[in-house]
Amino acid sequence: MNHTSRRDFLKFGAALPLALHSLDLRKAMPKQTTPPRRVMFICNSLGFYRPNFFPGARGDLSSSKYLAEIKTREKLTVFQNLFHPGMETSNHDSEKSFLTGVPKPESPNFINSISVDQVLAQQIGKETRFPFLPLSIYDRGWGCSWNNRGVAIPPMHDETKVFDKLFGKEDLLAKREQIANDQLVVSCLYRDIKTLEKSGGDAAKIDAYRIVITELEKQLEHDAFWLDAKKPNVPNTLSTNTEFAFSAKIKNMLELSKLAFQTDSTRVITFSMDWIYGAIKVPGATGGWHTLSHHGGKKDVLEKLIRIEIDIIQHVNKFLADLDGIKEGDGTLLDHTTVVLGSNFGDASNHTCNNLPTIVAGGGFNHQSHSVLERPTPLCNLWLELLNEHNVDVGRFGSGDQNLNLLAT
Amino acid sequence: MHKTSPQIVFVLVCIAALNAISTGANAACQRIESINSNQADAKKLLAAYCFDCHGEGGEGSLNLVGLLEKGDFDGTFLFENLITAKMPPSDMEQPSFDEKRVILKWLAERQKETAPNSFRRISRHEFVHGVNDLLGTNLDLANEIPDDRGTNDFDSDRRIQLSKELIASYFAVADKMLDHALPVDGFPQEQIWITNKLKDSHETYNIYVRDYKEGTLLSWTRANNGNSYSFFYDNFEPPAAGWYDLTFDAMKVGEFEGDVSIQVHAGKYYYADDRPQPQRLLDVISLGNRQLESHTVRVFLNPGENVSVHCYSRHTYRNKNPKEGAYIKQLRVRGPIQNQWPPKSYPTVFGELPLKISPKRMQNKGLEPTVVSGFQSNLQKIGGKLTVSSFQKGMEKENMQDGSNRTFWHTRFEPTIADSPHFVILENPRQVEIEGLSYATWSGGNGNGQVQRFSVFVSDDGKAWGDPVVEGELEVRLANEQPIPFTKPTTKPFIKFLINESFSLDGRSLASIGKLDVVVGWKIEHPKIKVVVDSISSDDLETVIRRFAERAFSSNLSDNELESYSSLGLWPLAKNQEFSQSAKAALKAMIVSPRFLMVPGKHSSLSHSKIAALARILWLSLPDDELIGLANAGPMSDKVLAGQIERMLSDKKSDRMIESFCAQWLNLRSWRTITPSLKLYPQYDDLLNYYLPMETTAYLRNLILEDLPVGNLIDSNFSMLNQRLAEHYEIDGVVGQQMRKVSFSSEVPRGGLLTMGSILKVTTDGFDTSPILRGAWISKNIVGTPLSPPPEDVKAIEPEHGKTAATLREQIERHKSNPACYACHKSIDPYGFALESFDATGGWRTKYRVEKPHRRTFQFRLDGYYNLAQEVDASGEIGSQKFEDIFGLKKVLLLDHEKVAYNFAKKFFEYASGYKPTLKQRIDLFNLIENDPDDCRVRDLIKKVVAYSLAGEEK
Repeated sequence: MNHTSRRDFLKFGAALPLALHSLDLRKAMPKQTTPPRRVMFICNSLGFYRPNFFPGARGDLSSSKYLAEIKTREKLTVFQNLFHPGMETSNHDSEKSFLTGVPKPESPNFINSISVDQVLAQQIGKETRFPFLPLSIYDRGWGCSWNNRGVAIPPMHDETKVFDKLFGKEDLLAKREQIANDQLVVSCLYRDIKTLEKSGGDAAKIDAYRIVITELEKQLEHDAFWLDAKKPNVPNTLSTNTEFAFSAKIKNMLELSKLAFQTDSTRVITFSMDWIYGAIKVPGATGGWHTLSHHGGKKDVLEKLIRIEIDIIQHVNKFLADLDGIKEGDGTLLDHTTVVLGSNFGDASNHTCNNLPTIVAGGGFNHQSHSVLERPTPLCNLWLELLNEHNVDVGRFGSGDQNLNLLAT
Repeated sequence: MHKTSPQIVFVLVCIAALNAISTGANAACQRIESINSNQADAKKLLAAYCFDCHGEGGEGSLNLVGLLEKGDFDGTFLFENLITAKMPPSDMEQPSFDEKRVILKWLAERQKETAPNSFRRISRHEFVHGVNDLLGTNLDLANEIPDDRGTNDFDSDRRIQLSKELIASYFAVADKMLDHALPVDGFPQEQIWITNKLKDSHETYNIYVRDYKEGTLLSWTRANNGNSYSFFYDNFEPPAAGWYDLTFDAMKVGEFEGDVSIQVHAGKYYYADDRPQPQRLLDVISLGNRQLESHTVRVFLNPGENVSVHCYSRHTYRNKNPKEGAYIKQLRVRGPIQNQWPPKSYPTVFGELPLKISPKRMQNKGLEPTVVSGFQSNLQKIGGKLTVSSFQKGMEKENMQDGSNRTFWHTRFEPTIADSPHFVILENPRQVEIEGLSYATWSGGNGNGQVQRFSVFVSDDGKAWGDPVVEGELEVRLANEQPIPFTKPTTKPFIKFLINESFSLDGRSLASIGKLDVVVGWKIEHPKIKVVVDSISSDDLETVIRRFAERAFSSNLSDNELESYSSLGLWPLAKNQEFSQSAKAALKAMIVSPRFLMVPGKHSSLSHSKIAALARILWLSLPDDELIGLANAGPMSDKVLAGQIERMLSDKKSDRMIESFCAQWLNLRSWRTITPSLKLYPQYDDLLNYYLPMETTAYLRNLILEDLPVGNLIDSNFSMLNQRLAEHYEIDGVVGQQMRKVSFSSEVPRGGLLTMGSILKVTTDGFDTSPILRGAWISKNIVGTPLSPPPEDVKAIEPEHGKTAATLREQIERHKSNPACYACHKSIDPYGFALESFDATGGWRTKYRVEKPHRRTFQFRLDGYYNLAQEVDASGEIGSQKFEDIFGLKKVLLLDHEKVAYNFAKKFFEYASGYKPTLKQRIDLFNLIENDPDDCRVRDLIKKVVAYSLAGEEK
């Protein structure tokens, strides 16, 4: 290979982007010959009604009421018997551990650790404008993504703002000036941090601050680098349906994810389908999603809950089908995108977290259609396998000590 | 029955001895810490009072004997049960006051507490309030910073850590606030707009308003989806973000009782939407006057928002061509308002430094607004005009340019029909860059002539047109403006809009247009007044930066500490940049610095650190000059401190604390996200949604202001109400929407927090009420009954009324038959039972409502879609005390004011300190509570807790 890859450029760190100002970035960074690999995690925080989720007949995905909705079934594996050890039961805090596997999220002294999407973002996220994209339904400030200090990364819930961030026009001159100013501010702050240290300030406090300001400094460098590349021109196709706002939100977030992958704006997306303690409306059902999730097996309650879950599954189906409809390299976008759909709850009605409903779709894997594990197995083993599949070698991850090895091509 | 075992006999002897020691004179004033406590005594007492049930094989689920043998256990639950007198149960023998102290003290001393972090980041609310006070601005931007509270109860929780995303948004919001305070290109000049014209509204609803006298008469118009339908004012758009005075000349029309309300909203104009989304409710005007009067509300508006009004009055629901309702003669807008001139931000930041204002004539009379009235199209603004192929008399081309699509241009049809082609030519003599056209159909009527297909041509001379630059189709049913963007902007002097096909009822060739205008790329400049500091002195700048830093960091600073910030300002000044803009970077660095964002900060003295903490707790902000003066004067006595707490509580800025504390303690922040079902509760609307939390904050404010007893948190004979709330609570005689103190008789179930609509709503999902969830919430937040988490593998029960509703209570009653459940649920469920008399919106009910099956698209109607089901049973039993209903429950709760006060003190401590009090601190907090319920007052308790929490900082 005699051309320089984007990765090579970035390896040189901060100095290079300045040197690049005079170059045409798009020429400097030729199109990759092999399509990049992407990953998406979707967490349905109120789980799925398991009798409808898992196939009734072993190996036959169409015997699952939900999976039968998915057209790209041949590119999908559903896993049965995954769980997070030490977290057989929990409460809604279990969502915090979905991608980290840290037990006892409900304890007052809980400290989380890095989530699997962030490990991936650190590795494969460097080469795109957005190292990762955290999404959610509501404005809650936390979701499934946690940084390497176990601090929540606030997801974005406003699809117009997400669209704008990804594809919106920018006043480049103003932005450049802004970044330069912020860089001056940051260097001033470094000097004050030194002064504070010399005068014997609270070391823990100063460290906590220094870490984030260092991260921000890197972010500014990253932003400055990407100023030279034009954002893709994408028409806004978001739904503005106000009657089924919940439905429209899920549809839009998945649509944005598709566009972001398609334009290679990011390679890691995490969508936390969070809930609020209020009513939602989908075609055929209105109700408090949370209240309905505690169905206790009651038929009329389940009927509404299933409507909501089918609505979600249908959006996921469309998303997967859309990805599979986009040709890329020798396959489709879906073949180069691993989509995980799962939940922190095995059974939200009882707040139990065993046998977590989990699907892996796409990614070009050797799909098993229906993988029933003999004994309860750490979900982190699957995370470990996904990490390995993306050439990330971390040894262990959370409670995972062993690559599940069920998807390998 | 209490069985007496030999072991107990021995213990009782010991207790008698202990009693003898501790019962001296003045026993009632004795504090817990004055008791000598040791493990042996405490264990003996536990054995005496607890082992019967909580011994080996006892009936209680907790085995205390085993726990004590184990030695290492978390004593919090034990401690809380004892201090709140939940245990021993009231029908068992009770330890004496002093005996209790022995056990509590021992539990507190043996408890291993994890030390809270020594610092925390300030919350987004503290950030925005603080920066506002530093800059002399008043911007509400907290929502632009992500909420980082997570699942913690309080924003101040020290476990919350700063993240990169958060600091990035602090950077962004700091820029926004600084640009607003010290705008580089000046302040928008104040203007006045006068309008009495409404924009077009959907045909379903425009029948509920009508032209009346010189303005408009509105009736109460709820849209088909139940939201308030808003009517938008035309001829005013805010040119810049800022505060505006909206003055409505209005009166009530009608003979009925009570005021009519005008809800003033802001939002994006909609026309075609017959199921509109709720708008941002800015303020409410209450009309009781039968003569025209001016009513002014001051509101914050952003560019792109339109002002709209909605009339609320129960007497005028959807009156066609109304004869009663709210009459608005006109709207007069003034803004963006600067309260003082030059704007407050300049003296706040730059002190006495001289200013230069341009244009010069604005030096002194910056407040002289220019009056704008009437509408100007973009085409008129760029000096253009239009011509048409033909027109019908009375439907001239000017109708396309008057801002309304009720008036329209129509091609000639009488006496003869004009031949096609039909077209409009727009002239652009100044050759301004035009990005496209904006088109709207005419509304109402039969639709004849509405454009379906069009082509656009451009030309240099108005003769040679060439190929179309854009072609397309337009929607005929959509009356919103439809943009027609060009593929690339044009500066050509002639643009032709050619109608290729149009709608016609009888096939005749016609064309009509409601609005047609050009879209121009550049913003039409709003006149601005530039304010700059008339100085180039680096000494002046250093003084400004020092002053700002000392306020922001609440500390005196050495030159060395200041150096990094001042150099950031001096550098651009040295490069001949303007003074105030040079200061900006330094100001920004200070408000995103560790000294500002991380608290406690670095303070030059203990007094400085105390005033910083005080201002943070009571004002969510920074010390004012008086506090700084006191701190600079040296150490502060407890008396001075107490005086300052008193002063600060009386200051208006303490409203921030009350709002913030209520929002967190009572969850009111997440409250708005829940919309009640309009099938079950059709009376619910956004006006009620607006006032319900106000009742709660106004009530707490009143308890503080009048220093009323803590028992008022549970019950009182008054609340803070207005007409809308009183309607909801079925209390007569409250007229007008201003909040005021309303007293009521003892038959009214309101008074106290438990029976406020806000509290009753926040504990439901908007459909059904769950006695368990409500009960648990009330226990945890208001009553302060300690709860342990539910045991594992317990099936959840959720509410379901109607046919099977009888089983809900049965199911809950099943808790009784399972000791593992009943141990806790006997002190949770009863609160919920009593509150069953209140529905999911806080309305009173005697029967449950069950939704009628209804499959079609929801259409709002005032009587909803429900049937009445069985009677509510609100009775229950706590301890051995039975109650029939909410009145009975409140009486039971009032018997123990200490429990309520203790819970309140703990919550306020946690709010103020950022962590839960340790058991030792809880003893101290308990000691702050007056024994006599009449002496135990809210303001006094807050003052004591604040002072106590400050003393904790010192250690």
